[in-house]
Amino acid sequence: MEKVSALTKDEIATIDNIIKSNRENPGQLVKVLQEIQSQLRYVPLEGQKLIADRLNVPISKVYGIVSFYNFFRLFPPGKHSVTACMGTACYVRGAKDILGEIRKKYKVEPGQTTVDRRFSLEVIRCLGCCAIGPVITVDGKVYGRMKPAKVKEVLEKYN
Amino acid sequence: MNIEELIKIRDEYKPKLDRRMDRRPLTKDDTRKISIMMCRGSGCIASAGEENLYKIFDRVIKKHNLQDKVEVVPTGCQGLCEKGPIVVIHPGGTLYTRVQGKDIEEIIQKHVINKEIVERLLFFDPVKKRKVVSLYDMDFYAKQTRRVLHNNGLIDPMIIEDYIASEGYFALGKALQMGQEEVIEEVKKSGLRGRGGAGFPTGVKWSFAFKAKGNQKYIVCNADEGDPGAYMNRSELEGNPHAVLEGMAIAGYAIGASKGYIYVRAEYPLAVETLKVALDQARKYGFLGQNIFSTDFNFDIELFLGSGAFVCGEETALLASLEQKRGNPRPRPPFPANEGLFGKPTVINNVGTLSNIPLIIRNGASWWSSVGTEGTKGTKVFSLTGKINNTGLIEVPMGISLGEVVFDIGGGILNGKKFKAVQLGGPSGGCVPAEYLNMSIDYESLKEIGSMMGSGGMVVLDEDSCMVDTARFFLEFDKDESCGKCLPCRRGLPLMIDTLTKITEGKGKIEDLEALENLAKGIEKTALCALGQTAANPTLSTIRHFRDEYEAHIIDKVCPAGICAALFRTKCQNACPVNQDAPTYLALVKEGKFEEAYKVIRQTNPLPLVLGRVCNHPCESKCERGNLDEPIAIRHIKRFVADYAYANHFEYNPQSKQMRDERIAIVGSGPAGLSAAYDLVIDGYRVTIFEALPAAGGMLAVGIPEYRLPNSILNYEIEQIKKMGVEIKLNTHIETIEGLFSKGFKAVFLAIGAHGERKMDIPGENLEGVYWGVEFLRNANLGKQVELGKSVIVIGGGNSAMDCARVAKRMGADVRIVYRRERKDMPAIEEDIEAAEQEGIKIDCLSIPIGIMGDGKVSKVKCARMELREFDRSGRKKPYKIEGAEYVIEADAVIESIGQFPESDFLDDDKIKLAKNRTIVVDQRTLATNMEGVFAGGDAVSGPLTVIDAVAAGQRAVSSIKRYLRGEALGPIPEREDHERYQIPFAPDEDPQEKPRVKIKESDVEIRTANFQETTSNYSKEEAMEEAERCLRCDAELS
Repeated sequence: MEKVSALTKDEIATIDNIIKSNRENPGQLVKVLQEIQSQLRYVPLEGQKLIADRLNVPISKVYGIVSFYNFFRLFPPGKHSVTACMGTACYVRGAKDILGEIRKKYKVEPGQTTVDRRFSLEVIRCLGCCAIGPVITVDGKVYGRMKPAKVKEVLEKYN
Repeated sequence: MNIEELIKIRDEYKPKLDRRMDRRPLTKDDTRKISIMMCRGSGCIASAGEENLYKIFDRVIKKHNLQDKVEVVPTGCQGLCEKGPIVVIHPGGTLYTRVQGKDIEEIIQKHVINKEIVERLLFFDPVKKRKVVSLYDMDFYAKQTRRVLHNNGLIDPMIIEDYIASEGYFALGKALQMGQEEVIEEVKKSGLRGRGGAGFPTGVKWSFAFKAKGNQKYIVCNADEGDPGAYMNRSELEGNPHAVLEGMAIAGYAIGASKGYIYVRAEYPLAVETLKVALDQARKYGFLGQNIFSTDFNFDIELFLGSGAFVCGEETALLASLEQKRGNPRPRPPFPANEGLFGKPTVINNVGTLSNIPLIIRNGASWWSSVGTEGTKGTKVFSLTGKINNTGLIEVPMGISLGEVVFDIGGGILNGKKFKAVQLGGPSGGCVPAEYLNMSIDYESLKEIGSMMGSGGMVVLDEDSCMVDTARFFLEFDKDESCGKCLPCRRGLPLMIDTLTKITEGKGKIEDLEALENLAKGIEKTALCALGQTAANPTLSTIRHFRDEYEAHIIDKVCPAGICAALFRTKCQNACPVNQDAPTYLALVKEGKFEEAYKVIRQTNPLPLVLGRVCNHPCESKCERGNLDEPIAIRHIKRFVADYAYANHFEYNPQSKQMRDERIAIVGSGPAGLSAAYDLVIDGYRVTIFEALPAAGGMLAVGIPEYRLPNSILNYEIEQIKKMGVEIKLNTHIETIEGLFSKGFKAVFLAIGAHGERKMDIPGENLEGVYWGVEFLRNANLGKQVELGKSVIVIGGGNSAMDCARVAKRMGADVRIVYRRERKDMPAIEEDIEAAEQEGIKIDCLSIPIGIMGDGKVSKVKCARMELREFDRSGRKKPYKIEGAEYVIEADAVIESIGQFPESDFLDDDKIKLAKNRTIVVDQRTLATNMEGVFAGGDAVSGPLTVIDAVAAGQRAVSSIKRYLRGEALGPIPEREDHERYQIPFAPDEDPQEKPRVKIKESDVEIRTANFQETTSNYSKEEAMEEAERCLRCDAELS
C-alpha cells in the first residue's frame, strides 16, 4: 500500500481553481472530480477531504464516487500509463498472455506502478478496438494485434 | 432554417456524394474525379500506428498537383477493421487493405494517375481464396444491408453538409410537420425495438413518456457501450453522429422534451470529439436550439462523460450517474418514463435505436419494416470479433442466419480452426453452438436457446476457447462491475466463481453443476437490476450447450481446449491423445541427446517410426510457438529421433516388471491392438493378437500406402513389439468371443478397425473397373496387380480417398477426385490434400457421381453439380444437387472411398451391442462393452479416426483391463505410469526472435509420382537440433 502524503501547494491551487470554475453549477461533483483527475492524473485522499470541505458534502460521498468509477485513481500513476484490454474479443485472442508478459517482464501487477515509476499497469474492460485485438494502450495510444513477444518492443519505446 | 434552405444545401452537395457512389469501374482513360475514402475509425487509426495517413495523402496529392482531380475524405468505420487501415477509392469502389504511409505514393501514381489497380493491396477473400478488386464484389459487403451504416464510408462525419446531402435532417423537418402522437404512431408501426439489448418496443416507451405528466421531460442517449467485445455504438457515433442527434431531436419533439443528454464513455475519445463538432454544427444550422425549423419546438443536447462503470449501462444506474452520484441502480417501478432523470419523465434510448429514427420518419414505417422477421423488424449492426477472419462492423437484416454471418460475411474461422460457438449479449448473454448455425437472428429465437440479441457484440469462439473458462471470465467481469448494493449479486457471483474455479482446477464434482444452476436461478430471480439478473446467463448457457466440456473437467480432469492451466503441463502434451511429453524430447534433441529422446517418446508411444510419419499432429496446432511465427515441427523431430534409433540399432523396449499368468486376447493388429499389446506386455501379461489378414498392422499395413509409410519401417516396429513377448497369429478369424474365454483368455480387447467400405448405391457400381477404396489400397499394399487404365475417378474427400488417388497416380493414371462439398470441408489432413494437388491430381468439389456407365466395363461417370444451402450439425454447409446441372467425365476406372465401417457382424452371436453404423458400443471412458471382460477401441468404436487416437484407445483399454483383472471398479481416468523424468534446465538470455520452422525436403513431384518410395525426407542431425531449439519450453515456464 502506498503512503498517503500531504498535498503540495500546487495541488491545492489546482483543486481550488477547478472548484471555483464550477461554482455556478452546484452538484457537479463528478465533473469536478473528473477535472481533477485529468489535471493531477489522480484524486489524492487529502484532496478528497478538501473537496468535501469546499463543496460542503460528506467525505463519504466523495470517496463513494471516486472508488466506484474505474476512471479515478487514488494514487499517482507512473510516468507512462499502460492499459491491457481484457474485453471478451481481446480475451479470446489471447489477452491473458499479453497481460502475463507485461506482469512478468516489468514486475508489475494491475493497479500498480513499477518500482522505478516508469509504468503504471491497468486492466481495462473494453476499448472498442475489438477487431484488432488483443490491444494495449500506452499513454492513450492504441497498439493492436499484440503478441507476447511484441510487448517489450512496444513498451521500450517509452522511457 | 426551413425545408427550402435545407433542400438547397442538399442539392448543392449531392453531386459530391453521387460521385462517391459511382459503381462503374475505373477505366484506362477515366476523367472522373477520384474520391479516396480513408477510414478514420478507431480501429484503422490504431492500425496506422504512428502515421497520419490523411496528411501523407494530402502531401503526395499536392506534390503531384492533383488537388482538382482527387479528394481525400476521412470517413467513419467502413467495417473491415481486421484489414485496416482501409482505403476505398471511387469510382468503382476499389478497396485497399493494410495501407501504410509508404504505399501512398504508389496508390497515387498507379491508381489516380495511371488508372491501374494496386494488386498487392487488394483484399484477399479467405473463402474463395482470391483477391477482390471492388468492395461491391465482396461477400463481406454484398451480404449486408447497410442502412444505419449507409453514411459510414460515404460522408465525412465532421462535415454536416455531407450528412444533409445524404438526406440528413429531413426527417426532423418532416416530424415537426406531424403531430407528436403521429410521430410516436409511426415509430410504433415500424416495430422498432430497443437496440441496447432488451428489445422493448421503442414507440411504446415513447408513448409512456408522452402521456406522463410533467413540465420538464428528458431524452437520454445511452452511449455507455460497456459490453466488452462490442463497438457498434462507438462506430455509429464516430461515423454518423448527426443521425443520433437527429433521432434525439425527433424523440424530444415526440414526447415533449426540450433537453437531451448523451451519456458517452470517456474511453471513446474520438467519439466524444466527433460529437462535440457535430453538436456545434447542428446548433449553428439551427437543428438544435430555439424554434427549430421555425416552429415553437426548442431542444438542445448536452454531452456527459461516463467515468467507467459497466453497470451505468443499466438505465436507472445511468440516471443516478447523470445526477452526479454513484451509479447505483434502483428498483423499478417507477419506470424512468414516469420518474426518470431528476424525477422527471425520461426516455432512455440506445445509440443504435436513435440512429434508426430518422430512417423510419423519412422513409416511412412500412419501408423500414420491409426487412426482418415477424417479431423483429429492420436491420441490426453487429461487431463481429474473436476468432474470425473478417472481424469488423456489419449491418444485417434481422432474420439472417447466424451461419451466414459467421461464414459468408465473416469469412469463417481464423487459421482454419474449428468453429465452436458465438457469444451474443456479452456478460448478460449466452452462447450459440454449431447446431444452431441455421437459426434466424431475432429476439425470440435467440432467447429460446438461452442466448440473447444483446447490444450487438458477436464474439466468435473456436476450438481453442474453453467454455468453462469463458463462463468464469464473464462472471469475473460481472463480479468486478457489480455495484454491490444487493446481496444476490454481491455474494452470489463470487460463490459461482468459486465453484467454477474449482472445476477449472480439476477439483469439481458432478453435483456442482446442479448447484451452479440452482444458484444461478436464485440470482436471476432476486437481483436488483439487469446486471445481476443476467450475470449467470453465460454459465447457464455453456452448461446447457457444452455439458460435455464441463464433464471433461470434472470427470476426466482434462481441459480439451488447453486453457485451464492447472489441468496440464503444456498445451502440446495436453493436445496429444497419448499425452506424449513433447517438450522433454524436444529439449533432449536440442542437446543432441537422441537416445534419451527416443526413450522418452517410447515410454508412451509404441510406434514412433510410424507416427513420426503419419500422425496428424494435434500437438502442433496448439503449439505456443505458432502465436509467434510457426508451430514447432514436432512430428518431423519425432521422425528424426525414431529414424536415428532405427539407423543406429538403438533399441529401447521397456522391461516387464513382473510376469503374470493371465492371458489376454486382442482381436486386430492395427495401432489400437499393437498399443494395447505393448502396454499389457510391459505390465507382465501374456498377450496374443489375432489378425484375420496375412499381414500385421491393420490399416497401417493395408490402408496406408508405401510412399507414406514403408512396410519395412512398420514391420520393424511390429518386430520390436513381438520381441517383447507379444504373439501375433496371422490369417486367423475369430468366430466367437465366448470361444476365446473358453480357451483360457481372461479378457478380450476388440480392435478390429473399420475395413468395410460404404457404397454410394448408384447405378453401374457392378461394372468392371469399379473398385472399393479399402480393397484397392489393400491389394496395392499387398503387392497385387490392379489394372486401372488411363483415367481414374476417385470419389470421396477423406484420408483414404487421398491415398487412393495418389496410389492411382503412381500406377500411371490421370486422377480426378470428385467430392460433394467444398475443399475446405474435406476431412482429409490438409498436407495430404496439398500433396495430392501438387502431384497433379484434380479435385472437382461440389460434385457428386450419380451413375457409372459403360458396356460391361466403366467408360463414363455421370456427375451432378452441387450447391450449398443450410448448415448441418457438423457446422458445414449441406450440399444439394442442382437440378439439370449434370455432366459426364470419361473414365477407365472408378474408386469409391466415401467412408468405412467396422466388419463387426461376427459379434452378433455374442450379443455384443453394436450401433446402427455397425460400430461397437462402449462406455466412452472405460471402453467396456456390454459383455463382461470385453473391451473395444479404435476405429471399430469411433469409425475411421487417426492413428494416434487408436493408440490412445489401446492404452485406455489396458487401464480398464488391468483394473478388471484386479477385481477393481473401472475408473474413468486411465492409469498412467510414472515415467523417469528428465530435468532439463532452461534459461534463455533473450526473448525469442521470429524464425520460421526448418523446412523438410520433399522429393520432386516428377520423381515421386513415378514410384512408391517415401515422399518426405528426414531432418539431418543439425536441422533437427536447430528446429528443436525453437521450442519455447512452456514446461519450464509453467513449473
